[in-house]
Amino acid sequence: MNIFLHELKAYRKSTMIWLVSLTAIMVMFMSMFPSFSKDAEQMTTLLKGYPEALRKALSLDLANFFTILGFYSYALSFIVLAGAIQAMNIGVSIVSKEVREKTADFLLTKPVTRTAIVSAKLAAAFASLLLTNIIYGAAAVMMATQVQVEDFNVTTFLLLSLTLFIVQLMFLALGIVISVMARKIKSVLTVSLATVFSFYFIGTLGGIADEQTIRYFSPFKYVDTAYILKNSGYEVSYLIVGAVLIAVAIGTSYYVYSKKDIHAV
Amino acid sequence: MKNVIEIDHLTKTYGKARGITNISFNVEEGEIFGFIGPNGAGKSTTIRTLLSLIYPTSGSAKIFGKDCIEFAPEIKKEIGYLPSEVFYYDNMKVIELLKYSASFYKKDCTKRIKELAEIMDLDLTKKIDDLSLGNKKKVGIVQGLLHEPKLIILDEPTSGLDPLMQQRFFELLEAEHKKGATVLFSSHILTEVQRLCDRVAIIKEGEIVAVEKISTLQENNYKKFKIHTKANLDADYFNLAGVSNLVVNNDTVSFLFRGNLNSVMKKISDVEIANVWIDEPDLEEIFMHYYVKEA
Repeated sequence: MNIFLHELKAYRKSTMIWLVSLTAIMVMFMSMFPSFSKDAEQMTTLLKGYPEALRKALSLDLANFFTILGFYSYALSFIVLAGAIQAMNIGVSIVSKEVREKTADFLLTKPVTRTAIVSAKLAAAFASLLLTNIIYGAAAVMMATQVQVEDFNVTTFLLLSLTLFIVQLMFLALGIVISVMARKIKSVLTVSLATVFSFYFIGTLGGIADEQTIRYFSPFKYVDTAYILKNSGYEVSYLIVGAVLIAVAIGTSYYVYSKKDIHAV
Repeated sequence: MKNVIEIDHLTKTYGKARGITNISFNVEEGEIFGFIGPNGAGKSTTIRTLLSLIYPTSGSAKIFGKDCIEFAPEIKKEIGYLPSEVFYYDNMKVIELLKYSASFYKKDCTKRIKELAEIMDLDLTKKIDDLSLGNKKKVGIVQGLLHEPKLIILDEPTSGLDPLMQQRFFELLEAEHKKGATVLFSSHILTEVQRLCDRVAIIKEGEIVAVEKISTLQENNYKKFKIHTKANLDADYFNLAGVSNLVVNNDTVSFLFRGNLNSVMKKISDVEIANVWIDEPDLEEIFMHYYVKEA
């Protein structure tokens, strides 16, 4: 419990900053919605002029773009990207932080098992992300109610918002594996930006090629906003694969960390 | 005597870098045990294995009679460790860090923290970030001792401490020792080991060269003499039993001596001298001594 609270406190500042940033992106997009929807017809004609591949890459879905849910899912592609960086940052720094700040010797010579250390750190990371999502989700619903022109389906809206959390959990797990495997990570941001953007581009490519299998290679595509809009639910097969990947990543992290030599720096 | 630490053929190899080979020695309950060797000889590797920060390639070690890997969390309740390089969570205040450290042990350490901080002259309200190296070291000392451990493991603890604080720190260790704590003290400075320890293990290039009582070590040790005399001396004046490497250069005599110091001192007092230097041999010279003995 003491490690959990200590870690939570350590993430406090960055969680606040990310929360504010994510909410700011959302507010910025949503406040543009009323003017967009007013000129919907003109915009549609304009956007139709864009090549289809480009529209797919930008995940512009013209049929839905001018409904609040469609517009929100467009905004989400940016919000989720930023959120992925947040999650990846936390994940990568979980273990590497101790090595970089040379505090591993402090923590690991205390009467605790390494498993308990990983659990506490994971729980703290999870709690930070959960908190981010709860507050962000509440803010998003409030904002949507402010700018709506007609009633919208709140469940679908929440399902859309929840994609942020799902993608974040995947990147959190990925970050932990990387941080446990690497001997020393000098700059967390470099690692997480590189990884997140690589997966983002893989996902974008998949969008252009309309290839279903490629979706499995990008955490961003496990939750497809277009599908959620249409069906007001998730694609179960992707959720299962995602959950398995997270479980494998976390299991591996536990195993590697408990076998790892902690070298003096 | 019960053994607090039993190291049994411990080996750790890392790729091409040297680790430790076949290390065995015991530390008895209630003793201050020195562990000396030059930098990179394997002192830290041994200590880090004892603390299960790294895992042995082969061999094993027991602390309090229990395997140090298998029972690591349990053993560590009674271990206080001070790493050679202390570097604690920067964003915390000293007192926050010490409380965090104390929270791992199921006892109230508040009083002990205050006592130790007073002895070591440590300001608890400062941010760790703002502390000098020596003061960070003090945080490390307090952190290592606040739960009144039965076994204190110190890895080059004095670097960065000024002489006054070193003195206080040694007194503190002696007090803990009187209360019954066992101390494993690693260092590359012979004099501090000599001052505190009952026995020492000497490690060189990953292997234990000798485990000796300090008293035996001192008897076997050379002292370096350099004497400036007022008048030129007979070249053979200092050529007595136990003297080696005698060099006489007009009014300057230098030699190495091993044996009863009084015989040399008497000789010195019989001549008019301008200056005299008596030096401890440095560690390299002691190792030379052990190598010669082995060869």
